[in-house]
Amino acid sequence: MDFELSDDQRAILEAIEALLKRHAGPERAIELAAKGAYDKELGAALGESGFLDLARGEETGPLEAALMVEAVARAGGCVSVGARAFVAPLVLEGEVHGPVALAVAGSDAPVRFAAHARTLLVLDAYTARRVDLVPGDVEPVRSNFGYPLGRVGEEILAGGASLGRGSGARLRNAWRTALAVEMAGTLRAALDVTVDYVKKRRQFGRAIGSFQGVQHRLAHAQVLVEGARWLALEAAWQRCPEEGAALAAAHASTTAHRVFAETHQFSGAMGFTHEHDLHVWSMRLQALRLELDGAAGHQRAAAVARWVRE
Amino acid sequence: MEFGWSDEERAHRREVQAFLEEQLPPDWEEISKGGPGSDAQAAFSREFCAKLAGRGWLTQSWPAEYGGSDASPWRHAIFGEEMWGNGEPRGPQYMNVNWIGPAIMRFGSEAQKAQHLPLISEGRALWCQGFSEPEAGSDLVALRTAARRDGDTYVVNGSKIWTSYANHADFCILLVRSDPESKRHRGISVLLVPMDLPGIRVREIPSVVGERYFHEVFFDDVRVPVDALLGSENEGWDVVSYALQFERVGAARYHRAALILDDLAAQARRLGRLSEPRVLEQLGEARARCEAARVLNYRVIDLREHGAPPTADSNAARVASTTAEQAVADLAVEIFGPAALEYGSYADTRFRWAMTAGVAVGATEVQLNLVASRLLGLPKE
Repeated sequence: MDFELSDDQRAILEAIEALLKRHAGPERAIELAAKGAYDKELGAALGESGFLDLARGEETGPLEAALMVEAVARAGGCVSVGARAFVAPLVLEGEVHGPVALAVAGSDAPVRFAAHARTLLVLDAYTARRVDLVPGDVEPVRSNFGYPLGRVGEEILAGGASLGRGSGARLRNAWRTALAVEMAGTLRAALDVTVDYVKKRRQFGRAIGSFQGVQHRLAHAQVLVEGARWLALEAAWQRCPEEGAALAAAHASTTAHRVFAETHQFSGAMGFTHEHDLHVWSMRLQALRLELDGAAGHQRAAAVARWVRE
Repeated sequence: MEFGWSDEERAHRREVQAFLEEQLPPDWEEISKGGPGSDAQAAFSREFCAKLAGRGWLTQSWPAEYGGSDASPWRHAIFGEEMWGNGEPRGPQYMNVNWIGPAIMRFGSEAQKAQHLPLISEGRALWCQGFSEPEAGSDLVALRTAARRDGDTYVVNGSKIWTSYANHADFCILLVRSDPESKRHRGISVLLVPMDLPGIRVREIPSVVGERYFHEVFFDDVRVPVDALLGSENEGWDVVSYALQFERVGAARYHRAALILDDLAAQARRLGRLSEPRVLEQLGEARARCEAARVLNYRVIDLREHGAPPTADSNAARVASTTAEQAVADLAVEIFGPAALEYGSYADTRFRWAMTAGVAVGATEVQLNLVASRLLGLPKE
């Protein structure tokens, strides 16, 4: 056990942070969201630096990929790094092409990044399938929830090549872990921007963050967010075990539900505006906490993995 | 960063489990029913801790010069998890090992170390902590129990309350106000008081929590030799702050809660309810809370492993442990239903164990205050 970054991990993260400083951040996220666009530049920059290949590196693995995904989420990056750099390398053999999106067979839910993806991984009951997409295959869906979405047609969802026995579980577990990691980074940023706000915002002659009614709720949120982060990173390090992945996703999802409500409550009307950064992360939390049947789905999966399945 | 156990750590968990399997009597569930302060468990702890000492485990986290083997914080944590997971057969003595001993090592005189540390490391001493008072609970620095210097003794007058284990304790680590003019954090001292001194009276406060759980301790002109002073006179708050850092994560409540949850799932299966989506969701949610508490406690252990100064991460971990334990206790009652109402039943004992979680070792609100100010940097005014 060691919760501190190694020298190598620190060096990787510092390089990623420096790259994100140039290519990401809330301002950029707001600009892209207005157009429903995908951040091709950021994706290319991460790719050129080799950060999309950390999950299967010689000296790096899923944990390093997770740390990268977390950092991108914290910076509000609008790229499908969870699917592209974490899930796909653990599910697919060989090269991964272009942005990746993740979808569930038989579902008509809008899919994150689908309109921009070149590879679609489809989760079926027992197996996963890989579908290669070309531009125009997927119709964009307008959304206020911070991600470019697309509606994938039934035919596409039913197509593609099966990835074989066990691929369904592999995809599901990696997807849950990636979700937990993305939520961890997004939660951290949402909480940080709110803590910063309540320190500055003054009412009744004092900072609103000095009121105990505010402090206790934010302190509770801090406990939840930190727990979500360590559970997610641990699941990534453990290469996404069924129970661990489901628990990490479950805890992150319930935390997302709570942190969305609390951060908006304490940010007042300002929190709803494009002139304040909170929405960059808070709205995404809603999108993330709904995937794969949300908290209830993750909780059932964890319970089944631990107590039902022999 | 990595999250695996070493072979040595895994082996230690296995040997501790095997030892418990062998040493805990068949009626252990019955013995442990009343909690660590019960007559049965306190008596058992004296016998059991001596055996742990014989194996070199009781104070393994201590430095070798004080009867330990410099075991890493991780090994200590594994050991603590197995103890709590099995109803804490060390009884009250877990406190000695976790923080009373370390406080004596850090602040004690040579004579105090020579007197107390062997007793603790051999499993021969029961301690209680004289902190809370009727008017000083969460606001501990409001304490008023007075120690007046008179030659070679302190004359102690006042009372302590909620004192667990006072009925069995050989010693009390007692907080007193040694400077009558002082206010708040200054002017507090710590005394290591033998409980058999004339003028000490213990009264049990009957409660719904468990047998012999709470006590009131009265000090009536109790003459305590000045060499019982731990640390410097009037500087006792430093000792308390040091000790509390250890205390908050000393008890592996998250681990016990997780094991109880396994039992609840087994019970749900017996009742044919393990296929109900709602039950699965409740179990999954409670398990996630236990796991989140575990990683936050591990974070604190890791900071200690790295020699980092104490932080409010221990308060955050405590909040997470408390909510996990309460969630599991609530679920116990829900799954067992009205059968939980019978005294001594499985769900009844688990529910009562968890009842004190949000109040013991500083109310949750106090922990949240510290998280807010120290981790989030939120302002006071």
